[in-house]
Amino acid sequence: MMVRGLFWLVLLQFFGVALNHWLLPMLPASIIGLLLLSVWLMWRGAVPEPLQQAAGGLLPYLPLLLAVPASGIMTSSDLLLGELPVIATALVLSLLVTVPFCGWLLQTLIRRQERKG
Amino acid sequence: MNLLTHHPLFAIALTLAAFLIAAWLYRRSGWLLLQPVLVSVTLIVTTLLLCGVDYATYRAGAEPVAWLLGPATVALAVPLQHNIKRIRQLFWPVLITLTAGGVLSVALTLAIGWALGADWSVVMSLAPKFVTMPIAMPVAEQIGGVASLAAVMVMLTGVIGTAMGPLLLRWAGVEHPAARGLSYGINAHAIGTAHALQEGEECGAFAALAMSLLGIGTALLLPLLLA
Repeated sequence: MMVRGLFWLVLLQFFGVALNHWLLPMLPASIIGLLLLSVWLMWRGAVPEPLQQAAGGLLPYLPLLLAVPASGIMTSSDLLLGELPVIATALVLSLLVTVPFCGWLLQTLIRRQERKG
Repeated sequence: MNLLTHHPLFAIALTLAAFLIAAWLYRRSGWLLLQPVLVSVTLIVTTLLLCGVDYATYRAGAEPVAWLLGPATVALAVPLQHNIKRIRQLFWPVLITLTAGGVLSVALTLAIGWALGADWSVVMSLAPKFVTMPIAMPVAEQIGGVASLAAVMVMLTGVIGTAMGPLLLRWAGVEHPAARGLSYGINAHAIGTAHALQEGEECGAFAALAMSLLGIGTALLLPLLLA
């Protein structure tokens, strides 16, 4: 069952590869696959069991799968290493503001909507 | 020795071992800064440097693990579908937060980078830093940044954002799972989404929503705006 779900995921990513090649060069294949599956699931209204199992099997291991490309950080150029203190400071400072801001804004808007409704 | 460290199984075993140690450490310590991706990457890079293996060799060996990231990204549609009612209900609040958060995030990073005197191509590579990695690289190139540099920025933001996220959100009193998830998705994209899914399915769904919508929006709009 899990393999059937995995097959669907791979097939949709493969459609994504084709669309990326001919129509949407700015969007990566996996994001196109995610869009296609979202549209199909919305139209269908429920998640089929094999897909449910494949997603349940894969998603808890996202940190494992991300560790491989993220380790590419070791190839960073001399340009980056030279500017690393500046970059890290810019990233940390902006995150200090944007992380609480985004969370606070949506929470405030949700509460306002709930009060109205 | 070279025969062993350059064998594909070395890369796979190293990746799995690093993840198992990182996951164990995260559970045992309960310390939010010890994000599994951050610890895994540190262990992998340290081992590769000590053994004298370059990244390209490791990447080729670890392919049997890495290719699953594509199908796993597609699978994010499943938590999205489970929360579709909630997402429809919150359509406008989500859109407003995504736009405001995205614009603020880029503007702030660029302004701080520029104020601190970073090189212009480095500043431009920071611009698409909040979108998921495969989108960030072509976008950075189109607006005059450096693609590999943009990839590193995205990883840095993801790792730092996910490590600081829980503390910052607690400090700001953000408890709503949708609000937490959206903030993880905007600020730490894929690595943040991986963490959000562990906080709960609603949180993960909104992180995946933020990551994909912001990624698509940036890929389509940023080159136009800066052209």
